[in-house]
Amino acid sequence: MSTATTASPWRYQVERAFSSNIAPIVAALLIVSVALSFMSDVFLTSSNITNIVTQSAVVGIAAVGATFVIITSGIDLSVGSNIALAGFLGALWAHHSDSGLLGIAGVMGIAIVVGAFNGFSVAWLGLAPFIVTLAVMGMARGLTLQFSQGESVYELPSTLNWLGSANFAGLKVSAIVTIVLFVLGHLLLSRTTFGHRVYAVGGNADAARLAGINVKRVVFSTYVIAAVCAGIAAIVLVGRLDSATPNAATGTELQVIAAVVIGGTSLFGGKGSMIGTLVGVLLIGVINNGLTLLNVSSFWVQFVQGALIFLAVLLDSFNTGRLKRAATS
Amino acid sequence: MPIVSVEGVSKRYGPVEVLDGVDFSFRAGEITGLVGENGAGKSTLIKILAGAETPSSGSVVLGGAPLPGTTGAVIDAGLSVIYQELTDVPDMSLLDNVLLGNLSSSRGVTRRADNRRRAQAGLQRVGLGHLDLRTPIRELTISQRQLAEIARCLVRDTTVLILDEPTSALPERDVETLLAVVRTLRDEGIAILYVTHHLDELFDIADRVVVLRDGNLVGDQPIAQWDEASLVRAMLAKELGQAYPWRARPVGAPVLVTTDVVARGVRGSSVHVDAGEVVGLVGLAGSGRTELMKAIAGVESGVSGTVVVDGQDVRTGSIPAARAAGVIYVPEDRKGEGLVLDASVRSNIAMGDYGPVSRRGVLRGAAMTRRAQDIATKYDVKLGSVHQDIGKLSGGNQQKVIVGRVSEMAPRVVLFDDPTRGVDVGAKSGIYDHVFTLAESGSAVVVCSSDTDEVLAVADRVYVLATGRIVGEFTRSQFDREKILHLAAGGSAASERSA
Repeated sequence: MSTATTASPWRYQVERAFSSNIAPIVAALLIVSVALSFMSDVFLTSSNITNIVTQSAVVGIAAVGATFVIITSGIDLSVGSNIALAGFLGALWAHHSDSGLLGIAGVMGIAIVVGAFNGFSVAWLGLAPFIVTLAVMGMARGLTLQFSQGESVYELPSTLNWLGSANFAGLKVSAIVTIVLFVLGHLLLSRTTFGHRVYAVGGNADAARLAGINVKRVVFSTYVIAAVCAGIAAIVLVGRLDSATPNAATGTELQVIAAVVIGGTSLFGGKGSMIGTLVGVLLIGVINNGLTLLNVSSFWVQFVQGALIFLAVLLDSFNTGRLKRAATS
Repeated sequence: MPIVSVEGVSKRYGPVEVLDGVDFSFRAGEITGLVGENGAGKSTLIKILAGAETPSSGSVVLGGAPLPGTTGAVIDAGLSVIYQELTDVPDMSLLDNVLLGNLSSSRGVTRRADNRRRAQAGLQRVGLGHLDLRTPIRELTISQRQLAEIARCLVRDTTVLILDEPTSALPERDVETLLAVVRTLRDEGIAILYVTHHLDELFDIADRVVVLRDGNLVGDQPIAQWDEASLVRAMLAKELGQAYPWRARPVGAPVLVTTDVVARGVRGSSVHVDAGEVVGLVGLAGSGRTELMKAIAGVESGVSGTVVVDGQDVRTGSIPAARAAGVIYVPEDRKGEGLVLDASVRSNIAMGDYGPVSRRGVLRGAAMTRRAQDIATKYDVKLGSVHQDIGKLSGGNQQKVIVGRVSEMAPRVVLFDDPTRGVDVGAKSGIYDHVFTLAESGSAVVVCSSDTDEVLAVADRVYVLATGRIVGEFTRSQFDREKILHLAAGGSAASERSA
């Protein structure tokens, strides 16, 4: 799909680029960036750009996983709560045992259990992804509040904090990890048979099944991948704050879904790319950053994110509608 | 005095003429049968009578006035259509369903006693007077629900009733009940147009039969002047057979052998298909031909009986198990179940068959492209590039991609479900050419089609199916179209009149 080869005539490449939703979003990112660089002296400084990437790490990492889920025409609303639950319990164990590795294992373990629950419910019980993950969102947040009794955990082992706070070669480790995950996600999606199955399931689950693809297993895997990403995001978040709070990552699911959808991944499934998601994450990061630099109220930030999702969905349904009409003519 | 007159009605969709100057009428107190093959134009004619489509030329007169232009107004004018599929609301009560959209009320408040009386009266006329009006309609049998739909038309003071394949979903024992109700309604003075595939039902209840073929009215006579043979001839008379490049092939040992396969819609089917053989399944819609294919290919679960391929038992109910044994089902709904329309041709060819284009789970893009190009060339697919969305190809070219994808897997058994559906005549013979090549390479091939003549033209041997059972088997030298169609329509071999 996105594995373009030299053998393909450029005509189809261009056609594909225009019919995908990426072109307008790249343009939007450039326009917003240029505008902000005129409106604020700080915007184009290297420290601010580093800041944007670091601030985007948690959303970005979670968005890598969400891209897989959304391409199968699923959705994961539980990602924010999963980050909070896994991050809190892992930090709590690390705090009591003074073992960072135990903490990391705890975070990943909890996150994967939550993801497996989502995946099992959607794939094998056949429940609607929106409802399942909405329920899990409530359950995970409730468990976090119950275990924490509303209290945060501080004084965490440095091993646990390393991912979210350390620097390497002048860059934040969290930013490097984010980029690495995007590259891995891109390769998995575009260069492997697994990625091809993900697109096939999202494009037409019946056809995929008749072509011998184990649709249930593919769907299940995407929720587990989303959960693995949520776990890594939780470790980054805990490390950056050097603490775990029960209200962490509230509303993150909205930003994650916004980034993926703005990046051109269709909520109807079957279409999308990791590169698009990266651009979507950056656009949201840049807009958040710009609104802060321009001293706009944070209440407006939420409004702008909501409006962006609306525009992205509108564009998506326009594009798929056009494709559907073309297919039946 | 006819109550409905169809006067020179033609209907064109783009360049395709579906109805061409159809002229006929039907009268109150009479059952008029309407028959024709799939694609003869029956459904379009029904849609026009229901007000859902307007004719390109010609007109329809209902009770002395031109037919109104909307479905709602046609119902108000006294013409109702009962469609093949139920259109009731399963979770609502019998009362609410019978009075759907027709509850009488006084200033928005329903008049309960009056409504109950009207529903009861309607149900009485179809023999359901004994049922509790509060029963959720979901709890009734299919035939009771069908009768309730007729009751719904009756409470709207219907004078013309059109029944489109009303018995296709009914178990055999309930058919007679429905036919008795239809007869009663005729005797009450309602004009009935009865559309069916089942010729025996027409001889049972129709007063007159009209025949459509390729959009033309080719017969209109009282029932006494028809017999089964003449009716079948009127429906089918057209030259076919040369359009398909059938050629004799050596046939080897049995590849696929099934014993007493029972599944949803399939009752105890034992078939065998040999290496190099093309076997056709002939049957009307709902006869179980698709279901039998799906049962063999592991698409349906809950299958009993055995499926043996090359002497090995294949676990039923599992697509991967069937595929591992080399059994591939090619679905009839190409767009819905066969392809991912907005993915590229290359991607669709790779789907589910990653062996030749990947190494340890990693796709090789160049190999995918080359393989797709090879298949496109070998199977005469007309396209701009293999990177093109497959949804933009014509139906015939899409089907060639599918046939190519399947053939290149070197399958043991391929089940083609209506492989030429929606494909133009020219592409049909191209597709069968590749199907024959596949058989020549030693695969066992099973084909079915909504067009029986097509199956007879391409198959070496056919099984005839009716109501989920295999009711006949003919080799190519014994093909007798009328006899086969007679069997498929539910007639017994003994009652067959020689033509």
